[in-house]
Amino acid sequence: MTALLSIENYHLDIPTFDGTLKVLDGINLSLAQGETLGIVGESGCGKTVLARSILGIGPQRARRTSGRMTFDSMPLDELNEAEWRRIRGVKISMIFQDPMTYLNPLLTVGRQLSDVLVAHARALGRPALSRQERRRRCNELLEQVQIRDPERVEASYPHQLSGGMRQRILIAMALAGEPKLLIADEPTTALDVTIQAQILDLLRDLVHRLGLTVVMISHDVGAIAAIAQRVAVMYAGVVVEQGATNDILTRPRHPYTQGLLAALPDIEGDHQSLEAIPGTIPNLIHPPSGCRFHPRCPRATAICTSEKPAMTSIGADHVVACHHALD
Amino acid sequence: MLSPVIMPSTDVNTDDGSILSATGLTKVFVSGGKEFRAVDDVSLSVNAGDVLGIVGESGSGKSTVARLVMRLIEPTAGRIVFEGGDLTAKSGEELRRMRRHMQIVFQNPHSSLDPRHTIHSALAEPFLIQTKLRGIELERRIDALLDIVSLPKAFKYRFPHELSGGQKQRICIARAVALEPRLLVLDEPTSALDVSVQAQIITFLQELRQRLNLTYLFISHNLAVVRHICDHVIVMNQGKVLEQGTTESVFAHPQNDYTRQLIDSVPRLPRLAI
Repeated sequence: MTALLSIENYHLDIPTFDGTLKVLDGINLSLAQGETLGIVGESGCGKTVLARSILGIGPQRARRTSGRMTFDSMPLDELNEAEWRRIRGVKISMIFQDPMTYLNPLLTVGRQLSDVLVAHARALGRPALSRQERRRRCNELLEQVQIRDPERVEASYPHQLSGGMRQRILIAMALAGEPKLLIADEPTTALDVTIQAQILDLLRDLVHRLGLTVVMISHDVGAIAAIAQRVAVMYAGVVVEQGATNDILTRPRHPYTQGLLAALPDIEGDHQSLEAIPGTIPNLIHPPSGCRFHPRCPRATAICTSEKPAMTSIGADHVVACHHALD
Repeated sequence: MLSPVIMPSTDVNTDDGSILSATGLTKVFVSGGKEFRAVDDVSLSVNAGDVLGIVGESGSGKSTVARLVMRLIEPTAGRIVFEGGDLTAKSGEELRRMRRHMQIVFQNPHSSLDPRHTIHSALAEPFLIQTKLRGIELERRIDALLDIVSLPKAFKYRFPHELSGGQKQRICIARAVALEPRLLVLDEPTSALDVSVQAQIITFLQELRQRLNLTYLFISHNLAVVRHICDHVIVMNQGKVLEQGTTESVFAHPQNDYTRQLIDSVPRLPRLAI
């Protein structure tokens, strides 16, 4: 099976006043059609920069130093702006953490949705939709995200709607171009747990119904576990472990993955003690030599400080980058 | 290890063992001529040495309850009793004296510290306001506080932006325990932090409670964290208390439909096979 999206040995630097941030350090990921990949990691691990780079909306000064990204056999790094317009929001679209920030408070939801349809038609060089066609398509999109009264919602301004509703609208907008790939960057982080559960259900339903391919980024392992078939764990700009969700969560092989899971309080557990990972995340201007996790790692030895561990296969669809992977 | 400068009193129990109790607590906000009952007839009681959790989603009124019991905002109705004294009836000097025994830690450590003040002056402030301690004795206290929260003494000379989120939250906790309070109100103390740092802070709070004989009122939307740290729990929704009881009974046998829905909404992880 050919991959819909493949990222090979991707390195990204961001120059700053204090020096160059080595934000992504050799990322390898591949994603098949219809698959849902979760990318989990803590703040500053590079997961959002990676997601935005897929869509060509990374930080302006960011420089790719090596590696490449291919989507649907197109080299994403070599596209010009006109080519990007036919892909961004159309073939690949994205939803974000805080839906309010991405909606215009001065326009009704219906107007904003219909603007998206107009923009897509223009970018693809198709004839503009009539007013009736746009209205019909808006209703259809809102029904697709399980909004029961599309007429009322279209007439509403964003502030009149709840957070969960706003996120549904952003998802509807993201679906407007019938994308192949949806990137969801912390889509449930700003929401209450009951609403989070509804949005995760909706995403699962869309994957099932539309055959959507999804990259979901989150610091919330629980949200990722609820939706992703495969998980990539990122730490300090490196994918440290990747595999089937169940394998990663029940048998983590990288010490960081294991530390992350042991730090999570369990809603069903007793008062077991939490294990914190000592230390703090490294400064990416001067990242640690060798394995970037070594200063915080309980298993680190001399080789960890000198040699960057290669991604090694340790099971069916399970890879880990560690000199001393757990058994 | 009990630090020599922190000597918590143990003789704080009132007759029923509760250190803080509130009855019929109500807060009505008026905006644009419309009334909004943020907190509606809430009663609670925290036993000395216990951790009482308040859980609820955004808008449930849980943070308003925290601010009310601290008297940071005035209740519309209701009575708050702290260590046998009626807090709602006090004002001025009397209230100021009582306040040193109850402290609060907020959600966002990045906005709780003045960016232009060093950590030293952040930690000195409670002493300058509430005590006559100055000079060498004050320095000794500040060093001891940094020691309690396991940060190096050299951190005194730093500014908040030079610290990580977890370190800032430790400073906020150090400042809150500076005057040896009996009650600590923790309003979403780990919500702005990453999970590995959250684990550090929670473990630290649990140790600190034992060491300083503290009572916590712990407010959070994170049910797993509440289950982990609290002895008793109150579930709030739309300003009202829906359910309360021991953490074990509320989580294992929720009586209220909303509580059940809340608990069921939390995504479950498969168990580690270790």
